[in-house]
Amino acid sequence: MANNVVAEENTKKQFIVVKIGSEQYGIDISYVDNIVRMQKITRVPKAQSYFKGIINLRGEIVPVMSIRTKMDLEPDEFTDVTRIIILKLEEHGVLGIVVDEVKEVVTLAPDEIDKVAYDAKNSKSNFINGVGKHGEELISLFDTNSIIDEPEMV
Amino acid sequence: MDVSQYLEIFIDETNGHLQNLSDCIMTLEKEPENMDTINEIFRAAHSLKGMAGTMGFKRMQRLTHDMENVFQEVRSGNMSVTSGLVDVLFQCLDAIDAYLENVKESSDEGTDDNEAIIQELNEILAAGTGNALPVKTEKAPVKPQEGEKFPKRYQDIEFSEKEKEELQKAESRGMNIYGMTVFIQEECLLKAARAFLVFKAVEDYGNIIVYNPTSQDIEDEKFGVDFSFYLVSEENLDKILEVSKAVSEIEEVVGEKLKYSELTAAAEKKEAAQAEQAAQEAKALEAKAEEKAVPAVAAQTKQAPAKKANGGKPVTNRTVRVDIEKLDALMNQVSELIIAKNSLVSIGSSSDGGASGASSQAFHEQIEYLERITTGLHESVMKVRMVPIESVVQKFPRMIRDLSKKLDKKMELFMTGEDTELDRTVVDQIGDPLQHLLRNSADHGLESTEVRRKRGKPEVGSIHLNAFQEGNNVIIEVSDDGNGIDTDTVKEKAIERGLITPEQGETMTQKEIIDFLFMPSFSMAKKISDISGRGVGLDVVKSNIEALGGDVEVKSVLGEGSKFIVRLPLTLAIIQALMVEVRGEKYAISLGSIETIEEISPDEIKFVQAKEVIHIRGIVIPLIRLDQLLDCEPEEKERESLTVIIVRKGDKVAGLIVDELDGQQEIVIKSLGKYINNSSKIISGATVLGDGEVALILDVNTLF
Repeated sequence: MANNVVAEENTKKQFIVVKIGSEQYGIDISYVDNIVRMQKITRVPKAQSYFKGIINLRGEIVPVMSIRTKMDLEPDEFTDVTRIIILKLEEHGVLGIVVDEVKEVVTLAPDEIDKVAYDAKNSKSNFINGVGKHGEELISLFDTNSIIDEPEMV
Repeated sequence: MDVSQYLEIFIDETNGHLQNLSDCIMTLEKEPENMDTINEIFRAAHSLKGMAGTMGFKRMQRLTHDMENVFQEVRSGNMSVTSGLVDVLFQCLDAIDAYLENVKESSDEGTDDNEAIIQELNEILAAGTGNALPVKTEKAPVKPQEGEKFPKRYQDIEFSEKEKEELQKAESRGMNIYGMTVFIQEECLLKAARAFLVFKAVEDYGNIIVYNPTSQDIEDEKFGVDFSFYLVSEENLDKILEVSKAVSEIEEVVGEKLKYSELTAAAEKKEAAQAEQAAQEAKALEAKAEEKAVPAVAAQTKQAPAKKANGGKPVTNRTVRVDIEKLDALMNQVSELIIAKNSLVSIGSSSDGGASGASSQAFHEQIEYLERITTGLHESVMKVRMVPIESVVQKFPRMIRDLSKKLDKKMELFMTGEDTELDRTVVDQIGDPLQHLLRNSADHGLESTEVRRKRGKPEVGSIHLNAFQEGNNVIIEVSDDGNGIDTDTVKEKAIERGLITPEQGETMTQKEIIDFLFMPSFSMAKKISDISGRGVGLDVVKSNIEALGGDVEVKSVLGEGSKFIVRLPLTLAIIQALMVEVRGEKYAISLGSIETIEEISPDEIKFVQAKEVIHIRGIVIPLIRLDQLLDCEPEEKERESLTVIIVRKGDKVAGLIVDELDGQQEIVIKSLGKYINNSSKIISGATVLGDGEVALILDVNTLF
């Protein structure tokens, strides 16, 4: 009995639901190290355009990326609810991404997630590896690794 | 016997002996008659054999034993050192090194018997000694060893004029002069303390005139198992010997009464090398005779197997082995402490206005105190991490020797500044780049012997490796007196490979052309050798050194030689920096590269080749506007006065225009991480300021 519960828990995944523009996105919670309020970002000259710069997270230097710029959306507008999500990725270290708002944490079972096919034409969809259905709402699930990947040079 | 706990010491010591042997054999090749070197080699080979035996590494023991045999013969003058012998000896060293590598990896010496080398050694032995029968050579090395178990080392002491005078005076006052050599047990851990006790005991009866090694070295335990001294005393010899042997862990004390006239005569004898040998042999016989007279102790030690006496002795110098990771952790904590201190400093300065006089005064004093402590702490930790580059460069003379044979070019390596210290992590990583540069000099730099002769240069090419400290950097120069870089050929090659058009080539400076050599897979070697020419060379050197925060510069004069200048940062983690502001953004510039700071008015700026320069104290200095360089918003109107920071790299200077100066600060360098593309390398890192703000560190070296 107890084993069954564990097994069931394992197949379900938790996601942090964030708002970027008008859409909702989910980030696999196992990659999330921390969520911090917006703070002063130090610009790094000559860096990639989608890097806003670096912040000081308790003495650690953490680079912060604008997911909006990376997805070719309008530039960020910082408000009271803007947050930086600190992702921790095994080999690559920590990275912050700016989101408009953090909504909630949801648990999705495998049958609630639809896989999304890769579409080379749509640069936005390259960052998504699935769509989660949570009640009435649809949540695009980020493929965490593709967020880090450098956009291919044209 | 479980010897695993000694494994580390064994590896360390074997490395030491190998290096020592390699150095000595190099010397021997140049001066085949040098008795001191031959003795040194004999001793090192003997220690190696003993150690290998104790650890149970039979193959290694056998090889070193045969090496020792050869030296035994050389030492006794039965054979001479030939270049063939030196070659074989180097092969032996390589083989021992290979054993050692195996030991490091698997705690086992491996299964290679190196029969070929042993065979060769024995052949040389047979040929060298002519009549040597195998039986004789087998026995030969063992006997004298025993005889020299307790050599009268005090006979090696040389006197200064003053010491001679003292001895003479003492003798004229009716005192006795005793030469004494004290042997401490190998396993004794506090040799210096034992030596001290011996001195204390004998000084109750007289005065010690001369020490060998020096009393300072004895105090610092810089000696093997024995030390010698001359004592003047009224007491008789037996009494002195008795009190000195009474000190525990003393293996043996040998000594005799001497006359001043004998001493000086012996010293004079020494000058003639052959006479010395004869004397030594005679004395060795004497020693043997005397040894018989010395009862219990000597008998005991004779019975003790030689390998025990020589094996696995830990040369105790007062050091502690510390894992580099522990030091890194310590360093990180010191860094955090400095950041915390910096924030206290900034709180202190911001609350200046409000706080009442006395308490704020006390606060500042304490902060200053804290500042002194953290700076001291940082320096100490840095010093702990510093090691001389010697450990890296000491293998180079051998490498050059091998290259010289392989390439059939005569060359010699001159090194200076081996004691220059660098952070451990840097030292660990500069070996390969330096090796590349040396190989490059040997292979591409130096011309062949015939060409050199034709050009009227000395036949033997010279390669120099000079290391020294310059401000916050350590400079290592690798130079040769070879052909230099032929920029025209490099240019042709670049054009041929489509890197530039011939027109572009016309306008390139020498430096720009030389930079091609640092491009990946751009080899200038006409034919590929196994030394270089595969095109993986200089680009790897450059990237390795840049990864360490350093850079490489080349100077070359065609026909006269070239010089590679490697510049490395002294410290990696914490630096003193000048904080500057550009459009409200804070940047740190390492104080080490800052020359002066100037205030200038805009109309002092002149133009040379459409570039802004200033002319200060007779030097024309190119200007760099940091706001433009760092893509800041331009200012609406030009300021009335500009702050210019003059920075230097080698012999080049540049002026950086900044908006504000924010004072000097100790900063902790942090990496920007892997995500941010920093290909321009202007930003070498970031630091957290006292108020939690992040400032970027400008690497001015990239601006030149």
